[in-house]
Amino acid sequence: MYHYFISGLHVSSELELRGAIPREPRGETDDVSIRRGSVPLALDGATATGPTWDLAGDIFLLRVPRLIRFRIEAGRDIVFETEPGFADCDAAGFVLGTAFGILLHQRGSLVLHGSAVAKDGRSIAICGYSGAGKSTRAAALCGDGCSFVADDICVVGLDGRQRPMILPDGRHLKLWKESIDHLGLAERRGRAVRESFAKYYVDPPDPHAQPSPLSAVYVLREARPSLKEGVERLSLPDAMRTLDHEAYRPRFRAKLQPRPQTMAHVAAVLSRAKVFRLVRPRGFEHLQDTVAAVQAHWDSLG
Amino acid sequence: MMSEPAKIIWLASFPKSGNTWFRILLANLAAGEAGPSDINDLYEQGGSACNRWEFESLTMLDSALLSYDEIDCLRPLVYEAMTAEAVGQRWVKVHDAYTTTPSGEPLFGRGLSCAAVYVVRDPRDVAVSLAFHHSTTLDAAVRLVNSPDGVYCESRDGQDRQLRQRLAGWSGHVTSWLDQTEVPVHVVRYEDLLAAPARHFAAALKFAARPATEAEIERAVRFADFAELQRQENEKGFMERISRTTPFFRSGRAEGWREMLSAEQVAAIERCNGAVMARLGYGLETTCRRTA
Repeated sequence: MYHYFISGLHVSSELELRGAIPREPRGETDDVSIRRGSVPLALDGATATGPTWDLAGDIFLLRVPRLIRFRIEAGRDIVFETEPGFADCDAAGFVLGTAFGILLHQRGSLVLHGSAVAKDGRSIAICGYSGAGKSTRAAALCGDGCSFVADDICVVGLDGRQRPMILPDGRHLKLWKESIDHLGLAERRGRAVRESFAKYYVDPPDPHAQPSPLSAVYVLREARPSLKEGVERLSLPDAMRTLDHEAYRPRFRAKLQPRPQTMAHVAAVLSRAKVFRLVRPRGFEHLQDTVAAVQAHWDSLG
Repeated sequence: MMSEPAKIIWLASFPKSGNTWFRILLANLAAGEAGPSDINDLYEQGGSACNRWEFESLTMLDSALLSYDEIDCLRPLVYEAMTAEAVGQRWVKVHDAYTTTPSGEPLFGRGLSCAAVYVVRDPRDVAVSLAFHHSTTLDAAVRLVNSPDGVYCESRDGQDRQLRQRLAGWSGHVTSWLDQTEVPVHVVRYEDLLAAPARHFAAALKFAARPATEAEIERAVRFADFAELQRQENEKGFMERISRTTPFFRSGRAEGWREMLSAEQVAAIERCNGAVMARLGYGLETTCRRTA
């Protein structure tokens, strides 16, 4: 059995989760169990279905055709069944990605599709669509004095005083080869997220172990002639809409969590953290300029 | 004209064939008196079949963990879900050729409430427009027009914001859409749309069972006038523009290739695409020269 601490949850897993940082067993029941088992092709009594999934109550079935299926239940159990020929080592990415993201939604967490870094006891989240450059900017910030908090799945919890806190995800960064090359991180490069894919786990130099107060969310976009570079604060309604939209798999959250609950959580986050649109120039040659702009802006928030 | 309006209209074309202009016409039709519509609001009008965000949102999957072929195998299921979710009629931009997935399914699904408006443009003009759009050489653009293996948005070491699209070369693209039998298709020649926009726009709308009066169509055409598009791009830019130096709405003319392509480049395009060009009514320069 393998043990991990992921997004604030103690996890025990029959499957080695390449990409997650191993922990010692803690001697009591873990929050989440990941195990191999029989997973049906479809769920009986599904109340919602999609191209690759069924939802029935607190059970979610995810199908990745010809590769793997998951049954995710009550924010507690992930059962997986691999298809013949699909290697266990390639399964970890799906477990740590969608399966764990769904599980976090089942627990009612606010899950952003973003990366996060910290410095001086505070953190920022960088959100954006796949390919926007979140992980690359987070990695570049880690090379500029920040510590790594989360990549891809970014859970924002509330502490006892209702302050938004980003929970360390206990995982490695995931970066495409071109980002690794440009950032000079070849020595920290681990295994590929799937065999023969050019995206790799990268060991973060200074992972942050504790929840860290969230001071700002930057929604990353690439500059276009119609979208000028720079940082712009979003109004409260835009910020609420944006955090809703930048959720990890927002369609699933919309089906699972009552909207008032989501909005209450978002409102609590926005009472302490500001949301900005960060429009970055295209091209790796401007990467350090973006890092400097974010650092300066973050410092200016006080 | 179809008996029941299809829920999804695939607005299909080889890249740089007038797809964007057609979507701007549609946007202005929807805007009505409130037009001219903002050229940067186009995505709101119906989106694109290769949108990575929508793929991930519907499948819940991380597309970076899937091969291009695995993604293609899921796309028919994604389009089935898109069709089921569509409220009213949705016009969706497509640059893929009409192909089958590695598991043998039509990429755009089977038996769905879909139809296609296919916009076709002279491949010689397409090549010129491609070169300006991507800031590549004309030779490279001609190669993409001619290549049966040509693709868009395929990257080995990184990830494009769009899903990979098989283009199949200009001829392959045209015939893939025109000769398939799964999806009813209406062909619009870009050159005809340019010469008589209201007439050909109206015919496409009629095919799609999208109601519009003559006055509404005339107004949409006026709002989507090329000078208006250039004015907007000049004033605030255009989100689909890639080139740092060349405007997206650059020329829009027919037969601009005569001033841009070398005789060898024209011959190369006609050699690879001559039969399909003739089928679509594009005269061949190479043959003319030989007979002159």
